[in-house]
Order: sequence, then structure tokens, then C-alpha cells
Amino acid sequence: MSAAQIRFASLLRREVNRFMKIKRQTLGAPLLETFLYISVFGAALGSRIDQLHGIDYVVFIIPGLIMMAWAVNAFSNNASSILQQKLQRAIDDQLSSPASPIQLLLAFSLGGFLRGMLIAMLTFGAASVLVGVPVQHPLVLLPALVLVGFFFAQAGVLVGIRAEQFDDLSFAQTFVLQPLIFLGGVFYSASLLPQPYETITHFNPVYYMISLVRYGFLGYSETNVALSLLFLVVAVTTLFLVNLRLFTTGYRLRA
Amino acid sequence: MYPTGTLALRGVSLQIQPGEFFGLLGPNGAGKSTLIHCATGLARPSSGSIRIFGHDAVQHYGQARTAVGLAPQDLNLDFFLTVRETLDYHGGYFGMPRRDRADRIDELLDAFSLTAKSGDRTQTLSGGMKRRLILARALMHRPRFLILDEPTAGVDVELRLELWQYVKQINAEGTTILLTTHYLEEAEQLCDRIAFIGDGQIVAQGSSSELAARYGVAGLEDAYLQLVGRSELSRAHVGGGTGS
Repeated sequence: MSAAQIRFASLLRREVNRFMKIKRQTLGAPLLETFLYISVFGAALGSRIDQLHGIDYVVFIIPGLIMMAWAVNAFSNNASSILQQKLQRAIDDQLSSPASPIQLLLAFSLGGFLRGMLIAMLTFGAASVLVGVPVQHPLVLLPALVLVGFFFAQAGVLVGIRAEQFDDLSFAQTFVLQPLIFLGGVFYSASLLPQPYETITHFNPVYYMISLVRYGFLGYSETNVALSLLFLVVAVTTLFLVNLRLFTTGYRLRA
Repeated sequence: MYPTGTLALRGVSLQIQPGEFFGLLGPNGAGKSTLIHCATGLARPSSGSIRIFGHDAVQHYGQARTAVGLAPQDLNLDFFLTVRETLDYHGGYFGMPRRDRADRIDELLDAFSLTAKSGDRTQTLSGGMKRRLILARALMHRPRFLILDEPTAGVDVELRLELWQYVKQINAEGTTILLTTHYLEEAEQLCDRIAFIGDGQIVAQGSSSELAARYGVAGLEDAYLQLVGRSELSRAHVGGGTGS
């Protein structure tokens, strides 16, 4: 391995090591949360809802839950990791190393990305055993999930850099991320909403993400798949470039 | 210059020779840590340049930072990590291969009497042990230039003397050292040359005796008191009547 590869591997290893050391909080809790959603919304309420667009309700919500698990964990992991290291100034060890801005950004991003992926895979495995989840379009599903995970990983990095206290993270997660995800149609189909709520939902970017992932799993989509994928690529690239700029200039990281 | 418009350093011009033990003295807020942060990439200089063994600290930060080991004044250890992990990750950030890291960690744990604590999380260490670990971490990648930012602040006498002994030894082995301290005796004992920094400017530099001569006083402490405009605190005045 070259020095640059060792450097990147060490930066990433540190991020993975962090969440693996507190598994109960970083893996156990989100898995339990997803299981409770499936139980309450799928098994308990779902028996009264019957089918949506010809799909059992409990199966209909699972793609959104898998995406939500990946998104929320990628976001919160990266935001917390960066803020915690900033507050302790432990991040100075990485910042004063020869690591380049892009190495630092990728390592911080992939930490949360991998945590989200692990939880999403475990959720998918459990849901497949419990209720059976089809995968209709894997060639759409895979890039869609990877892009969504990377988008929220980037969002977490951005919030972590900007944050000055844990209250800032809590605000972003509770008042921005959760409403966008819940109102993006994890638990329902936007086409069932009365106006003007259906139209308003179309301004929520997460709606297109859930729609894409649902199409990948179930073959049902309310949006244009190609356009949604394109939108996601543009959004991820933009956010990545913004974060790279912040790491290059040292915004709120270097004095 | 800080985003607030405050000018932290003004026209600082300083040259430290390879192998030298150099001291930087000045009151709090004089610009010592800012200068150090500019050299290590923790602050972005708005103008001027810093070269470390010929490498520009901004343009060629990779080579410049590889040459530097920083022991900051804050105990900035990651409390998720164990002692061994702290050193291992640091070595990794500087591109050291696994085998080399393992050998170097054992060597440093032994040198700083931390072997028994290698598996403990950093948050469980005493203040003195954290200070040792900070110094071990700075030395992990075998830097040619070691920056010690108030390394003995708040440590007991034994550890202070132990640290002095260690840094003297690595300086003798060829490592260039920049030391900032508020303990003038420390600077006097260790440093070949010393610079006084005040209000973001280097106001005087030379050996301890040269500085004393320049200010027309008996020692480094009195020279420093002259610099900060508090010569009335000189022991020659304060303690003048207590001697027998």
C-alpha cells in the first residue's frame, strides 16, 4: 500500500471503529426502531389498510423504511462524529496530518455511509424473512440506494462542520430531516393525498428518492425514474463539491 | 488575520536552524499558538509564507506536515480510542506501514511508561499520562521538527523533569524543536535560542544571555518582564529584602 492509501484507510478505519465501539447506540437502536415501524405500521395498522396500488401495505412501506434507515444513520453518524471531534479538538490530529481535503471528506463521508448501509442490509434481511420483499429492478435499486446514502452522508458532513453544539445537530435532524423523510411518503403513497398536499409533496426532494427506491424494490413508481436518478446525481455532486470547498478552505475546522 | 478582522501575527520573521532547540516566549494572546497553527495547517495564514525544511506549509503541505510533530497545549485526545489506537491511527495518517507502526508504538509506550495502559481508553488516563501520550503521538511518525506547545503546563515536577530529559535526548539525536512555555526556567535550561513574541510581532531573539544583555538585566526572567512592561515584578525588587 502507498502512503496515501494507508492514510485514507486509517482515516476510514477510525470512523468505522467509532460506530462499531458503540454498537448498541449506532446499530442496535436503529434496527429496533425500524423493527417497531414494521410492527406498528405494517403488521398492526397494515391489516386494516389492505393494499396500495396492488401491493400489501406492509411490503409497500419497507423500501421507504430501508431507505430511511440508511439516510438517517448516514446523516447522524457523520454529523456527530465531526462535531464531537471538533469539540474535543481531536480532529486536529487528522487536520495537521498530510491528508488532503478530498481524503478527509471521503473518509468522514464513508463512515456514516457504511453504517447506514449495514443497517439497511440488516433491515432488508429481516424484512425478507418476515414478510418477503421482492427486488424488481436491481439495476435501479442499487445506484439509487448508493446515491441516497451518499447524499445523506454528505448532508451529515455539512451539518457537522457548520454545527457548534449538539443542539444544532438535533435541530437539523428533528426539524428538517425527519419531516422531509416522513412527508416524502415512507408510510403512504403521495397519490392518495388530497390537494394541495399532493402537489406540495412534489417539492420535497426525499419524495423522489423514496419513489426511486420503491421502484427498485416493487416496480411501482409515481415519478419519472430516469429524471429522479439524474436529479439525485446532480444533488449528490453539488453537495460533495460544497463540502470539498469547506474542507479545502478549512471553514469552521481550521482557524 | 482572523475572520473577525483581528490581526494575530504581524510581520513575523523567524528562522530556526536544523537541529536547534528554539524557544518562543510571550504572554497569553501574543500569537505563539497562532504561529504554530499556521505551521501545522490548523490555521490559514492570510499572507506571508512558512517553509519547513524547504517545503511551503500551504502549497506543499504534504511534505511540510510530514516533517512536523505537534504536541498541542490542549489534551486533544479522542476519548473513543485506546492509547494504542491513538498512536496507531496517528501513524496511519502519516502513511506508516502496519509493521512499522506496531514496532514504533511498542517503543514509545515503553519510553513513556504507558505499556500497561496501552489497551485503556484515553479518557481514563490521568492528566500526566495524557500529557505523555500527547508527546508520544507527536513523535510517532518520527518528525524532524517537533513543536511543543506548553508541554509541561499543569504537570508535576517529576514528569516535567522526565519530559525535559526526553526532549533533550531527541534534540541531541538531531530533531529540531520549537518550544513555547510560560516557564522561563524551562526555556533557559533547554533552548539554544529564544524569541520574544508580543502583540503578534517578534520583538527580540537570541540566546538567554544575549536577551538579558539586550535588556540590560541579569537574566531571562527580567528580560521577559521588561518585554511585558512589568519590571516592577522582578525578583530583584520584590524579593530584595528577604535574602540574608
